[in-house]
Amino acid sequence: MYRRAGRGRVLLLAFVAISIVVVTLDFRQSSGGPLKRAKDLAVTVVAPVQRGFTSVTRPVGDFFSSVANLANLRGENERLEQALDQAQADADGLPAIEDENEELRAQLDLENSWRTMEAVTATVISSNIANYKWAIVIGKGRSDGIKPDMAAINSDGLVGKVLRSGPHYATVLLLVDPAAAAAAKVDGIGDGGLVEGNGGGEMLSLSFIDTDSSVAVGDEVVTSGLDGGVFPPGVQIGSVAEVGGSDAAGELQVAVESAVDFKALLFVTVLLETGDRLGAEAR
Amino acid sequence: MSVAAPEARGPSTLAEIGLARVAVVAALVVISVALQSTVLARLTLLGVIPQLGLILIVSLAYTDGPRVGTVTGFFGGLLQDLLLPQSIVGLTALVYTLVGYTVGTFREYSPSQSVWAPVFAVGIASAVAELGYALLAILLGQPWVGLEFTVKVAGFVVLYNVLLTPFVFPVVRKIADRYRPERVYKF
Repeated sequence: MYRRAGRGRVLLLAFVAISIVVVTLDFRQSSGGPLKRAKDLAVTVVAPVQRGFTSVTRPVGDFFSSVANLANLRGENERLEQALDQAQADADGLPAIEDENEELRAQLDLENSWRTMEAVTATVISSNIANYKWAIVIGKGRSDGIKPDMAAINSDGLVGKVLRSGPHYATVLLLVDPAAAAAAKVDGIGDGGLVEGNGGGEMLSLSFIDTDSSVAVGDEVVTSGLDGGVFPPGVQIGSVAEVGGSDAAGELQVAVESAVDFKALLFVTVLLETGDRLGAEAR
Repeated sequence: MSVAAPEARGPSTLAEIGLARVAVVAALVVISVALQSTVLARLTLLGVIPQLGLILIVSLAYTDGPRVGTVTGFFGGLLQDLLLPQSIVGLTALVYTLVGYTVGTFREYSPSQSVWAPVFAVGIASAVAELGYALLAILLGQPWVGLEFTVKVAGFVVLYNVLLTPFVFPVVRKIADRYRPERVYKF
């Protein structure tokens, strides 16, 4: 019994020592090295299981609603066919308008809008794993052209940026994470600042806004594109929810309600143009 | 007899644990982490995700003692660290290693037969692990959310973990018993 307890303590000390070595390793190397490979490996092992759970649980929710809606399906189908016809007719005219738009943009020397960038849409296969970090894993990676520092958006606005990309999976840091930030401006006023996350369920905060700014509740906040080109300009972030007093540094404390529902992300679109190219175009 | 055979070759931790059990425990760790980040991440308690990985580690430490607790604590924590974005790798591993060892040791020295004992163990372990991780992360200069948020999250994690334990613990114990090597007695 004594020996058993003794061996338990030796084992404990060994693993505590290994943990501390790993922490030190992580501190010494900012990127790359064996830890990066270990991270890629961990995602590669766990992601298929996560994908399994996500794809098993999603149809269950859909299934019950589909049975209930069976009667409406025929009518729904007819309505959708009509809508599709209409959309097809509208779309026929689009290429001409697109060409014209492109030509005019070229003449005006405008930078490329994020709306025309190449992009891939991926399913979200896992959400947060812990309560203090806000990130998701998506089901596409390097093989689809996704690289770190690319912007991730959805139809509502800015979701976050790609942190790591493996062959078939990528990790996206959400804008609500306390480590995430995006250069932003108040649309219409043009006052620029930095939007930072405060954790899930909390408002984003917009800093570096002068006290004499005319920013008001309800103003739209969009990316400014001034952060070394991670985020292209003009992507919706949210709207001003609160304008507080000035802080010690003489800046307004502005709370921003995000346009994106970070708890219900099913798909995200990654803009396939990295920082360098965005920066070059903005200059 | 099979009971004495491994002893003759000298006690090796791996032989004692058993390869089949290593594989099963590894699978349990991966499954719990995957469940935690998919299904449970959507079934939150007021926005708080339960720590299924920790419940698994405490359950295993409780049924199999400090050494299994230490090893699963380390690898379970490390896996979670590696999947977390922009956090210090090794912190969860360190915290879970200590938790696994402590739960296993307490179990050896105070073998309570109460069905509430594992629930109680998970409750205490969750509080210690959540606050311990927060403290270490803040000390090491991680960007962190407010203190109020930390305490709220820790409280709900304890509550949610405690609620899940009556469902998780019997399953883990059953699997652990099923894959435990035959040689149980060792003096």
